[in-house]
Amino acid sequence: MNLETIRKNIDQLDSEILKLLKDRMEQVLLTKKFKSQIDDNEREKEVLERITKNSTGLINADFIEKIYIEIIKESKNLQQKDWQLIAFQGEHGAYGEVASRIWNSAFVPIPCREFAWVFDGVQNGLYDYGIVPVENTLGGVVGQVNELLINTDLNFVGAVELPIHLCLLALPETDHREIHSVYSHPQALAQCRHFLARNKLDPVQYHDTAGAAKMLTEKRPKASAAIASKLSAELYNLEILKENIEDLDRNLTRFIVISKEENKEAGDKCSIIFSTEHKAGTLFRVLEVFAKKNINLTRIESIPDEPGEYAFFLDFIGSRNDEKVVKALEKVKEITRKFRLMGCYKERKIA
Amino acid sequence: MTNLKLAALNGDKQRRTVIAVGHVKIGMDFVVIAGPCSVESEEQTIRTAQKVKAAGANMLRGGAFKPRTSPYDFQGLGLKGLKILEKAKKETGLPVVTEVTDPRDVSWVCEYADVLQIGTRNMQNFSLLKEVGKVEKPVLLKRGMYSTLKEWLNCAEYILAEGNPNVILCERGIRTFETYTRNTLDLSIVPSVKEISHLPIIVDPSHGTGRLSIIEPMSLAAMAAGADGIIIEVHYNPSEAMCDKDQAMPPEMFASLMRRLQALRIHMNDVNGIH
Repeated sequence: MNLETIRKNIDQLDSEILKLLKDRMEQVLLTKKFKSQIDDNEREKEVLERITKNSTGLINADFIEKIYIEIIKESKNLQQKDWQLIAFQGEHGAYGEVASRIWNSAFVPIPCREFAWVFDGVQNGLYDYGIVPVENTLGGVVGQVNELLINTDLNFVGAVELPIHLCLLALPETDHREIHSVYSHPQALAQCRHFLARNKLDPVQYHDTAGAAKMLTEKRPKASAAIASKLSAELYNLEILKENIEDLDRNLTRFIVISKEENKEAGDKCSIIFSTEHKAGTLFRVLEVFAKKNINLTRIESIPDEPGEYAFFLDFIGSRNDEKVVKALEKVKEITRKFRLMGCYKERKIA
Repeated sequence: MTNLKLAALNGDKQRRTVIAVGHVKIGMDFVVIAGPCSVESEEQTIRTAQKVKAAGANMLRGGAFKPRTSPYDFQGLGLKGLKILEKAKKETGLPVVTEVTDPRDVSWVCEYADVLQIGTRNMQNFSLLKEVGKVEKPVLLKRGMYSTLKEWLNCAEYILAEGNPNVILCERGIRTFETYTRNTLDLSIVPSVKEISHLPIIVDPSHGTGRLSIIEPMSLAAMAAGADGIIIEVHYNPSEAMCDKDQAMPPEMFASLMRRLQALRIHMNDVNGIH
């Protein structure tokens, strides 16, 4: 133990304190959705009492009370502003959060453990938006999300096409020569297979990329690293040993932004969902409508719905103000079942 | 040189090893590698890289792992230094040459560098030679400061025998009784290598002389002797350099050296009957 090591420990603790404070502020913003007014003296008293009662040893009651008075003051300040919350699945640092920042950096990204929680939260008004991955160039369709999309009433208000760049992250004190285990989501590990083999590193499966980064910081395992986003390195105070370690560079994930409200702008891309009767040529007749109107289709996906039934997702270039789009959709609605226009929106592509 | 199987000229005397790195073909073009002795900071490395690129250098050098005479001297930035070199490459497009000193670092250095350098002190570090023999990146093998041509080529043989055919030899001066220069730059080794090996050979007049004023004449002499290139230490501000300050060339001097090399090259082509 020397001064340098101790200072590194202090830096690590500071980054944890900062992260916990951020998490606390996020929860504070969520409470706003359940309160009619910001001030709640009873609750403030309760928080201060609990925190001063538990203070022992080096932390004296006056000191911690002062800090908490400041925290509560700032919490109320934050609540006064009109924040837009956007939910994503995974831990902080997940690619959903990276995509949300690209969509709108003024939104506050809120992590959810399950995709279903993102949908439910947006539906209940807890979050203003949700952002979910629908497909990946290497991994294909994100099944869980597409299943949820079949039955949702939520609207598509945006899309982000995000290149997935993977980074090898380690604790600042870890010597790169000693690393042998690398934690990450199985898909991320598969995408870096050659890199791992070249450097004689063992892949270890973890449920989530950002989760693996968080685990490194919290559990501090020896001789270990994680594969996750650059954002995860910032959030969990990890060192980036190497950027862009993916074997192939054409790895894109397409995210959809969902909301309870319809999109106010016209957009340049539309998504619809429908199913067809079990008769020869029904799907063909739908596609024919778009072909005749010269509308460019960008994605067709069939997802099993009820046994023997399929829901079709169809994306195309156009806006709801387009006369030919309006006419085409009227026609498609006539010849399909369960038709719904999911939304017209702008898609953001990252070069 | 009976033990040389892979490094020696066999049969076809015209068959020479040519190694493509970025836009240059080492062994065919005259390659100029320039940059700081060690990577000290992002600013120092990128500024120096931009200067040498502007003057016409083909590749960037810079040490991240430094084998120093004293354990108390600056040992290099390690992995951080490699990341800085990667950034400098991104900014300038210059391929990167950097030294590897530890067998455990070989795969990591390969992730960042285009050419791995084995320094003079490690020329006979056989476990390191075997390790760089297993990778696909070209290896710049410096001559040990006490080594004969035979010993040197046997070290190249170690790398070639492991399956890596891309070895570039580098003469960097040897120890003699002379003290005016840091080392004695042995230019006679250039045509000697050409007589018995197909491997390309470049010259390091910075370490070979250790004196700024002598680097330019010896660079020109290296070209005249038939070397395939030179490697020069350049620092955008030599007075601030953290190592080998006395031989670090300022960018203006390097630009002037490049102009004179260009002129000599035209003349040498004429002398050698190349048009």
